Amino acid sequence: MNPESVPVYMDHAATTPVDPHVAARMMEYLTEQGVFGNPSSSSHAYGREAAAALHAARNHVAALIGAHSEEIVFTSGATESDNLALLGVMRANSDRGRHLITARTEHKAVVDSARRLEKEGFDVSWLMPDGDGRIATEQLRAAIRPDTQLVSIMHANNETGVVQDVDAIGAICREHGVPYHTDAAQSLGTLAVDVAHQPIDLMSFTAHKLYGPKGIAALFVANAARPRLAPLLYGGGHERGLRPGTPATHQVVGFAAAAQLVSARRAADARQLSTLRDALQTRLLMLPGTHLNGHREHRLPGLLNISFEGVEGESLIADLEGELAVSGGAACDSSTAEPSYVLRALGRASQLAQSSLRFSLGRGTSAADVERAAAIVERSVVRLRAVAP
Amino acid sequence: MSDAILRRRPNAEDPLGPRLRGLFRDLPLAGPLPPECAQGTNRVLRGAAGQVTEGTRLVFHICVAKDDRVTDVRFQAYGCPHTLATAAWLAAQLPGRSLETLLPSAPSDWALHLGIPIEKLGRLLIIEDALRAISSAEGDV
Repeated sequence: MNPESVPVYMDHAATTPVDPHVAARMMEYLTEQGVFGNPSSSSHAYGREAAAALHAARNHVAALIGAHSEEIVFTSGATESDNLALLGVMRANSDRGRHLITARTEHKAVVDSARRLEKEGFDVSWLMPDGDGRIATEQLRAAIRPDTQLVSIMHANNETGVVQDVDAIGAICREHGVPYHTDAAQSLGTLAVDVAHQPIDLMSFTAHKLYGPKGIAALFVANAARPRLAPLLYGGGHERGLRPGTPATHQVVGFAAAAQLVSARRAADARQLSTLRDALQTRLLMLPGTHLNGHREHRLPGLLNISFEGVEGESLIADLEGELAVSGGAACDSSTAEPSYVLRALGRASQLAQSSLRFSLGRGTSAADVERAAAIVERSVVRLRAVAP
Repeated sequence: MSDAILRRRPNAEDPLGPRLRGLFRDLPLAGPLPPECAQGTNRVLRGAAGQVTEGTRLVFHICVAKDDRVTDVRFQAYGCPHTLATAAWLAAQLPGRSLETLLPSAPSDWALHLGIPIEKLGRLLIIEDALRAISSAEGDV
């Protein structure tokens, strides 16, 4: 097929394709010829070999972040991991205090969990980022109270790619004895995290942003400073009682295979993505009336978010249809034309927040893709500006 | 990274549908009126509505002959693809109409005809306001 007839995929922050090696590994755990047993069925060999595979896979996933295997709780997605962290910690510790700290620029999974807690009578402090999307540590320090039970501030933002200083944030939390949760769903493919040496108590991450399958993710729950954590679901003792349900062996094995690949190639991927991202950024910012959203340095290597003056965002996305796959604002929000709440929190005017595009590059992105994407966007922006009053 | 990855072309319906897609792609009659329009006894009228800061802005420019019939039309638009496509579709129907009968039908009829989702009706009302601004000689609404 002519590559020109296939839309350029620059939405890896929404999801990545499953690596063929990962898909092949998963197939070994599905059919009758494979390891299909229920890992909880310890009374027979089918179950025990699945349990062994699950154990090995858990070790690989834990190794990706420097955790012990027993600190990994498998979930269905980063959304569930975030829900478990916030609702689980706050509800379990409500007798000690009812105060949560998070930020306006968090993913909806955290924002909506925090809103749910507000409805349950918990008190939430919403930190505001600076114009570049970073949370000032002094703001966090000032927000912590004696009754604070959890701080949740993401590692890298899903819209802008802005990376927070998790070490500084976590250090402040440790000073005050408050557990720190971070959503690292976007970052682990290109940024290394070592929870054994970083002040992180809970961390959400997911396979499908790492060239693994959808439907499997994890919540890291530190042993050393393990907070009390209440489950969201009931029905068995799986995952140390925190997440009952038959483990999806093929999903977990796929997650592990993806994690091993990330560990092996993360540095090289990050360098290559950064080079391509910078090339795309240079091209697009040559257009007049364009604005880079987020910090120039503290951001993910493969992510670029730009606003275009004088162009309506929904029309811009529609004009790219069939040629370029990108997101306007968060992918979860792209069914509406509302301005991105993340960019509004950074101080962007509504029009600019609404006319933003998120380009997220991945392993399959080539220099030719970057050239083609830049040309497509330039053409659309010029065309739509030409018909605007 | 590889240049050799061959992706399958995704097979999914265009949310705009073929009719709206064609109008949005071509945007016939978009832009300013040609200068020769204003020659002789012709009059040039303008009707506008909406605000860019609120997401939708429409400006119609029409050329009217001595008998009050539209001889030429152009539009400029900032808005969603449904707004732009509808403006293009309406603009094409204006030549030959009198100022008194400038509005071909109601926005709800336009939505039905073009298959525009009901949640977009507010945008179509802004288009209607822009056209009414011409016929009522109010200018900007």
